[in-house]
Amino acid sequence: MLDGVLFQLLELLSGLGNLEGLTQFLLLLFPFFLLIELPFNLLVLAGVFRWYIRRLSANPNQSLYTPKVSCIITCYGEGRAVEKTLLTLCEQLYPGHIELIPVIDGAAENQVTMRAVRNFRVDQTLYPQRQLNPIAKWQRGGRVSSLNTGLQQASGDIVFALDGDTSFDNTMVGNMVRHFEDPNVPAIAGTLRVRNVWTSLITMIQALEYFLSIHTSKVGLSEWNTVNNVSGAFGAFRREFLLHIGGWDTHTAEDLDLTLRIKNYFGRRPLRIPFEPAAIGYTDVPDTFRSFFMQRLRWDGDLYFLYIRKHADSMTPRLLGWRNFLMTLIGGLFFQLVLPFLIVSYTLVGLVVLPLEVILLLFAVIYLVYFATTVIFYLTGMILVSERPREDLKLLPMVPIFPLLMFILRCWGVACTLNEIFRRGHEETSMAPWWVLRKGKRF
Amino acid sequence: MKNPYVAFITATKDKSAPPNCHKFSGVNELLEHPEVDIVLLDQAPDQAAQSLSILRMQPAFQFNLIFTRDSNLVLGDGEIPDDPDLLIPAFRLWRERMSTFNRGQSPERFEERVLAWLWTRPSERLEPTLNSDAREIYRYPLLEVMAAEEPVNAMLWLNLMTEQEWLERGELLDRIRLCNRCNSGRLNYVDVCPDCQALDIAKQPSLHCFTCGHVAPQEHFLKNSLMICPNCLSRLRHIGSDYDRPLENFRCLSCQNFFIDADVEARCLECGEHHEPNELKIREIRPYQLSEHGRLRCRQGFSDQSVAEAFGRLNLIPGTSFRTLLNWEIQQARRYKSMQPCSLLLMRMEALEELTGYTEGLAIVDSLVDRIQEAIRDTDRCTRTREDLLWFLLPHTDRQGREVLRSRLSELSGLYQTQQSHWHKEIRLAGYTLPEDLLNQEDGDLLMARLTGEVS
Repeated sequence: MLDGVLFQLLELLSGLGNLEGLTQFLLLLFPFFLLIELPFNLLVLAGVFRWYIRRLSANPNQSLYTPKVSCIITCYGEGRAVEKTLLTLCEQLYPGHIELIPVIDGAAENQVTMRAVRNFRVDQTLYPQRQLNPIAKWQRGGRVSSLNTGLQQASGDIVFALDGDTSFDNTMVGNMVRHFEDPNVPAIAGTLRVRNVWTSLITMIQALEYFLSIHTSKVGLSEWNTVNNVSGAFGAFRREFLLHIGGWDTHTAEDLDLTLRIKNYFGRRPLRIPFEPAAIGYTDVPDTFRSFFMQRLRWDGDLYFLYIRKHADSMTPRLLGWRNFLMTLIGGLFFQLVLPFLIVSYTLVGLVVLPLEVILLLFAVIYLVYFATTVIFYLTGMILVSERPREDLKLLPMVPIFPLLMFILRCWGVACTLNEIFRRGHEETSMAPWWVLRKGKRF
Repeated sequence: MKNPYVAFITATKDKSAPPNCHKFSGVNELLEHPEVDIVLLDQAPDQAAQSLSILRMQPAFQFNLIFTRDSNLVLGDGEIPDDPDLLIPAFRLWRERMSTFNRGQSPERFEERVLAWLWTRPSERLEPTLNSDAREIYRYPLLEVMAAEEPVNAMLWLNLMTEQEWLERGELLDRIRLCNRCNSGRLNYVDVCPDCQALDIAKQPSLHCFTCGHVAPQEHFLKNSLMICPNCLSRLRHIGSDYDRPLENFRCLSCQNFFIDADVEARCLECGEHHEPNELKIREIRPYQLSEHGRLRCRQGFSDQSVAEAFGRLNLIPGTSFRTLLNWEIQQARRYKSMQPCSLLLMRMEALEELTGYTEGLAIVDSLVDRIQEAIRDTDRCTRTREDLLWFLLPHTDRQGREVLRSRLSELSGLYQTQQSHWHKEIRLAGYTLPEDLLNQEDGDLLMARLTGEVS
């Protein structure tokens, strides 16, 4: 078998000399990667380098800008994990005032969470600038209603939307808030790391995924002002702007929806959504393969719902600006929705048409290319971006496994999209109760 | 029985009095009419409470039935009945009880007044009321109005009355702590430095670096709005995984002492005294009511006890001891022919029980006891075997000495009679002297029985 693969490799390499061989070689790899993914990745890497150089040459700046901050913490069934979230927010070194607004959805049934919030005491001698204003929504209303309820009560100039099971570094608020000094910043995305890294293999892989695709990649994207999403678990907004665009909208994937609606002003105003790699939040990720794939079924299906069903009309350069239009088209639509279909169909066709040795060779080559990309991103992230390189180094054994999972995930993306197209999967979200979803506008 | 004189006081001007009631403009007018039997206060609760305490301070209205609009007023007798005729049976009952109180004597002293009030209202209790303006927090309004000018320590008095079984304690309502110097309940509990007792203490947050284990006050860790361990220079980012707060200590800003737990001190807001909380007086707040024993004494009269008290001044010894002494004297007389003479004297005061039913009677008993005390010697021994029988054992007294005492005591008979001429009661005496009257086989018991026979 190995001989066969090697033979095929030699044959291919020897054929590189002539035009026909080169064409054959290119054709095999072309659809998967080169044409779009390579330049995209190069763009991201260039962004990371630019960020790094810019940061090296930046003057140290002690700003006196310390607006009041309101943290809306959406709680559902987190239980006592909420205490940790609240404590880490109290512990912030930010010198300004922080208002904590935990919103407990379905407080009547989530008694444990409710009690945890109720019994949490903010020691005023220890945390004089922190204030706790919990809100209990006895009847369940969903994430969006929690966020909007919190927004109604929020009195700070800056509003953070945070998850009840996410805890934060003590420099988080300070690092996020400083960006708002620029009046053209309506929102900021924060960095999410995995809290339960060492629970299982899948959590370790996800830790690497978060590190590469959020922590490192978004630094690059942010440099070109093309951050794709301000995560629902960890984002900050200028309250005034948020109120202006009407807060969060019902339906699932409210975070991507909000990001897109903010971006709809990019064509008209010189707005910018930065990503702050030094603002770290730790969140729990699914710890079994099953729950992991179910989570992605929701996330990737929501992409189709959002880009194709709900926001098809706003996909114009007039609204988004050319840069973000192209980025959404490539990074959002093509990579997430089209590429999985291409990969799966090429693989299927390949399995039928090509001899097994060729297939294996092909997979080996593809794997190597993705592996190389992973290694490059990993090293870049470790050297230039990571604030905890020692911990991230422990993820090294995951690097060879990572491309495999990404391949599986791409294939799974097909199922996700099909589920949304034919079954309207977004309507099955657990983010809101059925009686709320039923009334939402259908797209 | 004549109908009661009912006074009606109303806050509404043109409201007319119910039938058979006399309308009064206010409490002040009512005070000029002590003949009123029943008062109906048709006033708002606050005003009625005020009127009640004014009326209850007046001897003329202290015990009278006073009905109000509100049934819960402490010094009132409940709601004004819809039918004025219902007042008559209530009044009849009240008057009956009033007349039987202490055998019909009108209550004079403070405790008598309180007992009379409780006696005439079988279902009432001495209720404490919460009053945050008062120093003791809880007050007994009844005791206050009954005390009038007399200074009365309510708690002390209640304890005394409970010990003497006049009153019994009701259920525990509250437990309060009072300053042990001025009895004020207005206390402020403050945490102070355990070393110098200064008030100015502050929590001092400390941090514990997980990397090197360094523990220091928080300000040592903060540098340029970052948290860095001053010992190992590692960045502390996340509570729980990089660092924690191991202890919350206090620092005294006056003596710089560093401590874990502050002392708690109770400071009296009235007199400024500082106490440890366990030095405070603890007071249990309860209602009180007449005990069974108390009720019995209200009915039978208090004077029995007063008579006993009066005789108590004679240093009475118990009957058995008296008999032992007497027997001993008899034995000596039998054995030593040359012993010093010794006498026994019995005094019977006829119908003493009747007499003590009246205040004057008690005064007579008092003066009787005074005179007896003058007549006898320190070395004499007395006992009282029956209400009316008083025994004296007179050592070193011969027949002559006995007769002197006998005549003195019989003179008292005059005192006994002249005070109230319609009582023809007399004092009878019987005497016996050792060794001359010694009979064979007669011991103390037989002797006393024989003498008792002589005087009856």
